Amino acid sequence: MDDVVVLGCGLSPFRSSRFDGSIRDWVAEAVLAALADSGLEHQQIDQSLMAYESDHLAGQIGQGVIWHDTLGLTPRPTARIEGCGATGGLALRSAFAYLRAGLSRCLLVVGAERVGKSVSTATAGEIFAMSSDTDWELPVGGHFTAYYALLMREHMRRYGTTEEQLALVSVKNHGNARYHPLAQKPKELTVDEVLASPLIASPYKLLDCSLLSDGAAAVILANRSWAQANVPRFSERPVVALTGSGCATDYARAGDRPRDALAHFTAKRLAGEAAYAMAGISEPLEEIDVAEVYDSYTGAELMAYEALGFCPPGTSGPLSEEGVFSLQGELPVNPSGGLLGFGAAAGATGVAQAVEITAQLRGEADPRRQVAGAKRGLSDCHAGTCTVAAVHIFERKDI
Amino acid sequence: MDPKVKLELERLRADDPLGRSEDPFADFREVLLLGLEHRFRYRHSLGKSSRFFLALEEGVLLATRCERCGRVWLPPRPVCPNDLQVTRWTELSGKGTLESWTLCPRAPHYARTGEPYLLAYVALEGVSTLFLHQLRGVGPDALQHGMELHAVFGNEPVDHPLERFWFEPLEL
Repeated sequence: MDDVVVLGCGLSPFRSSRFDGSIRDWVAEAVLAALADSGLEHQQIDQSLMAYESDHLAGQIGQGVIWHDTLGLTPRPTARIEGCGATGGLALRSAFAYLRAGLSRCLLVVGAERVGKSVSTATAGEIFAMSSDTDWELPVGGHFTAYYALLMREHMRRYGTTEEQLALVSVKNHGNARYHPLAQKPKELTVDEVLASPLIASPYKLLDCSLLSDGAAAVILANRSWAQANVPRFSERPVVALTGSGCATDYARAGDRPRDALAHFTAKRLAGEAAYAMAGISEPLEEIDVAEVYDSYTGAELMAYEALGFCPPGTSGPLSEEGVFSLQGELPVNPSGGLLGFGAAAGATGVAQAVEITAQLRGEADPRRQVAGAKRGLSDCHAGTCTVAAVHIFERKDI
Repeated sequence: MDPKVKLELERLRADDPLGRSEDPFADFREVLLLGLEHRFRYRHSLGKSSRFFLALEEGVLLATRCERCGRVWLPPRPVCPNDLQVTRWTELSGKGTLESWTLCPRAPHYARTGEPYLLAYVALEGVSTLFLHQLRGVGPDALQHGMELHAVFGNEPVDHPLERFWFEPLEL
């Protein structure tokens, strides 16, 4: 079957506030960058998919069509893709399906979200909390840091995972963000600084929590045969293909899940297994060179290592201490800085992960965060407390 | 500021966020900020879950049992997701054990609770799922996995019917 290849990638800077532009301006920035990266003219795109989570955060319904129009893509078809935190990953998966089904030959995926200071942090928290159960979880004072904390506390009880091990993820990801010029919070932190940051919901402190970002990301995907015929100098550039896509779901309220699964992201494990089967991966730690995982909270990154088969259940904390997932480790995770250091702009996040993995596989990342000789990468995002998980595998196909 | 424009908040001059020597958007760096507000009010039905909330008036906790698979769901499910059978209400003892908990020093503004507050997953007697609610009458240092809890019903007026009860340790 024809490979689905990445032709171009673009990002707007992720920032706590982009008052200098509106969300459609950031979309334009990201797409102009992706077009320049691809060498394509925008008229060569025959379909767009627009990934964003919330109409409330933007104060605008029907944004996808507005972005599509802003980009001069009318009268071509478009669709909005939404799945909370998994939105960007679901858009990649939809793009894969459109291209494989022959509905499109060259497709633009755009992810964007206005999560920065256009609303107060309290209002952003309330809007995100509305993606939990508004009849049963909100009225008792539920919020996302607390939901994740309840899962992590069970992980700590069962496996002895420590707050220091959580803090190390924050130190790593903020540190990695220092090598990404578009990252929101590059910072050299210590474990003690993370531990001393204000408590939000035990065991999570402020520096265990992902950022609130304004941002946009764009990826242009195409069928390889179309690209070979239509993209100037296609054969002169590194070829990155999307070779695996997995998606799975779990009960929306974590309390409804099987009790022994409370400390595990079951949907992520199943999504990973599906993506690995498609890409022919049997030993993820050995066969994957670089990964961007959904570090909505530091503990969520540890749980992702286990769900994605990078390590056995319960061992993520100690392996993290050994540096297995640092830039110099066996499998560098979140070289961009992730949601903790690069930024978190809901719908943009899954798309931005694909941008980073593509840069890594092309060997075009900043040398300070480039994983030497990376040939195969993974992106992973999820909704809620891993209610919907989307995992993708990207590979170099020209070498 | 133009006092004739009531929504105007601020006028700013922005820099190129990428700090380029030649800013392609140099013509577009004047910024006007408005204060926008939307207020929505919903006539929200609790639907087929309503009986749970109504039974709280009598100090009773209900859950739904699937007659086919025997699973007891709380929050209630009129249709069992295991086998799509219509369930029946069943009355609970209100006792349970502590499965997991978190201490929140600050409450979100939509939460009508004191600060700090504890949120917990409670394994209720006879229920297959874990129920999320607040723990009161106890500090975080006294909490232990598996400790016995019970539902306590208040008499104070509340906004949302779920606030009619919470959990406390059984023996204190």
